[in-house]
Amino acid sequence: MNQEKLDTFIRFLQKVQKQPSQTFDLGLIVKEPKSQVSEEKVFRGIKKIVSIEKVIYDKSLFDEDALEKIIDAFKKGQWVFLEVKKDIGSPLLNQLKHLANYNSFQLIDYQGKDVFEMKMPENSRIIVFAERDFIENKISYPHFYRLFGPVLSSDRLEK
Amino acid sequence: MNPEKIRFKSLEELKEEKIEVRIKERGPEGEILGGIVFEEEKVIDSESKEEKTKRYIYIGNPYEGRPTITKLETNASQEEIEAIKREIIPMPESFEILEAMAQTYKHHQPLLIEGPTAIGKTYLADKFTELRYGKEVKPLDFYCSGQTDVSELMAKWVPKVETEEEKRKWREFLESAEAQVEISKIAQETEQKEKLSQEQKLALIHTRLQKLAKSVGLSEKTQWRFQYGAVPKAMGLTRNPDGSFSFDEQKGLGFTLHIEEVGLAEPQVINTLLKLRGKKGQLAEEIQLWENGGKKVKSGPKFWAFFSTNPPEEYLARNEVDPALARGVVFKRMKELSEESLHLSADYYFTYKLGGKPEEKPEGCIFDIYNHAEIGREISKVVSAFHNDLNKELKKGEKGRQQRIPLTLDDMARVADALIDVQIRNKKTGQLDLTETLKNLIHFYYLDRLADEELKETMKANLNELLEGDTGKIEFEGKVLARKEFFDILVERASATEEDKKRLEKEKNQEKERNLKQTEFNTEDAISSLLKDSRIPKSIKKKLSSK
Repeated sequence: MNQEKLDTFIRFLQKVQKQPSQTFDLGLIVKEPKSQVSEEKVFRGIKKIVSIEKVIYDKSLFDEDALEKIIDAFKKGQWVFLEVKKDIGSPLLNQLKHLANYNSFQLIDYQGKDVFEMKMPENSRIIVFAERDFIENKISYPHFYRLFGPVLSSDRLEK
Repeated sequence: MNPEKIRFKSLEELKEEKIEVRIKERGPEGEILGGIVFEEEKVIDSESKEEKTKRYIYIGNPYEGRPTITKLETNASQEEIEAIKREIIPMPESFEILEAMAQTYKHHQPLLIEGPTAIGKTYLADKFTELRYGKEVKPLDFYCSGQTDVSELMAKWVPKVETEEEKRKWREFLESAEAQVEISKIAQETEQKEKLSQEQKLALIHTRLQKLAKSVGLSEKTQWRFQYGAVPKAMGLTRNPDGSFSFDEQKGLGFTLHIEEVGLAEPQVINTLLKLRGKKGQLAEEIQLWENGGKKVKSGPKFWAFFSTNPPEEYLARNEVDPALARGVVFKRMKELSEESLHLSADYYFTYKLGGKPEEKPEGCIFDIYNHAEIGREISKVVSAFHNDLNKELKKGEKGRQQRIPLTLDDMARVADALIDVQIRNKKTGQLDLTETLKNLIHFYYLDRLADEELKETMKANLNELLEGDTGKIEFEGKVLARKEFFDILVERASATEEDKKRLEKEKNQEKERNLKQTEFNTEDAISSLLKDSRIPKSIKKKLSSK
């Protein structure tokens, strides 16, 4: 696997802040249909660079639990590697969009607060990992790619 | 002059004129400086009868000959307002949106803006909230999708459970279509029991919920908690001076609710949103929640609902905005950003006018491009042209792709920010290779996400042509240069140290002198050959030799 490409991707996520509000981007890694690079290899590759926690978003995980895991990781100053294996539910999508727009969570009636707001720590980021076919055919939200800044195709990791 | 025609302007009129001048203020290069004006006023407090200073903002479209100016009270300080203004690119579209927001907010009317991805609907909703409450205050956001459930917007009953196992079982059940149908039936039935008091209705709901739990094998002793959704919450929220929020369903001041992508919402969600329509085109004064036995939540004076959506062609399902919703709101359709606005944005991003510049040269930065607006302006021409071309292609949709990826201004902003510290060095000169750096960043932020290989190759070729071919050629100091050559010269000149600059100046002067001398020699040669020419009359030769 091309670790150098992965390093550059992480560097972009760490350093580049969008004008004018100086917000960081969420990252997306897309596994192409014929790609030999496994999700585990990519995860291990990122782990060499930053402290990161894996969250597998599949049928066994409810949105509220996924959010709790992300918030916990952020509290520990970690990055989150969110492997998406089911269509994104409304509560998680709402928070991913809020994170993409404002780098913060905004939850109603959460942890005893009418409006719970939590800023993404400066050293934390979210990287979503999903297969190309899955994104194209199973994700019902039509502007999924727009949630992210840098998008890394697994093809580039093989070169 | 007929004295009867003389009219003295009232103080109010004079003040209006003063504000209008400030709204329309422009800088030395014609750039917009107005649009938003901050003012403090001394007023007598109606309760304490003491004099107080109140802060106001005036919002108007500076591009209009006679702008409609709206005055709103604000909690933000003058410094905050100035900082927020610096973060807004002064495009005509930005002020058109802000003007609509200010007017509808003032009149307690819901606003719906339908417009393409890049025009800044979300961004300006954020800035409008900051203009009224201060920096970093975000609106209450709700994003619609095909999966949005009515209960997220209005209210729901949540079981109080102890163990993880119980929690899992409940969630599985509550997420099922069966549960959603059953729970909405309970609310509908309660709505129909008109003769029951609210307490009786609540008791009925509890009994029905317990029965429902039992019928699906869950504990009927489960306790339930009522949870408000985004709409009633925003109606009764009060933002406290310490930045926290408190909720009161009767006395809350209300807050801004931004409901995004309503075009993606299912009909039942739209039906729920219709409850927000009130009398005379205003927002509803209260809403009744049947989920809670018909309890009413009052709409606070600062509650404001703003809906936004993309045009139907940006969604595969081509959802038009529901006509009933469109009738119940102030509906504003916006077009694509004009090429001028796109170019203005690029200019702002690449000359780093928005936000702060690095105080020290960051790691990875070969050349402090953020301090050279003259180069930034040239880069902005290339990037905005490329952005515009690709956007036109993407609007048609990509081959083999379900997802739509319209470009946004963020894409340009990302290239501008990465350009500061993801730079490539020219191995020959040791200086920044601006052309290669730009190519690299445009590949990364624009081209790598394209699924259509054919389009990717075409756009790659277009970019090369723009930077190195005839398409991007410009005239510079009397020579026609490709953009790459032009960029190399600009970087070389701007990278030069004081010593280099002196040396370059000296070399330039020496070259000038050489050229002058050469011209002199050439003239002398020409005269001497004419003098030797027997065909030239003597009278002319005399004149030539005297010169």
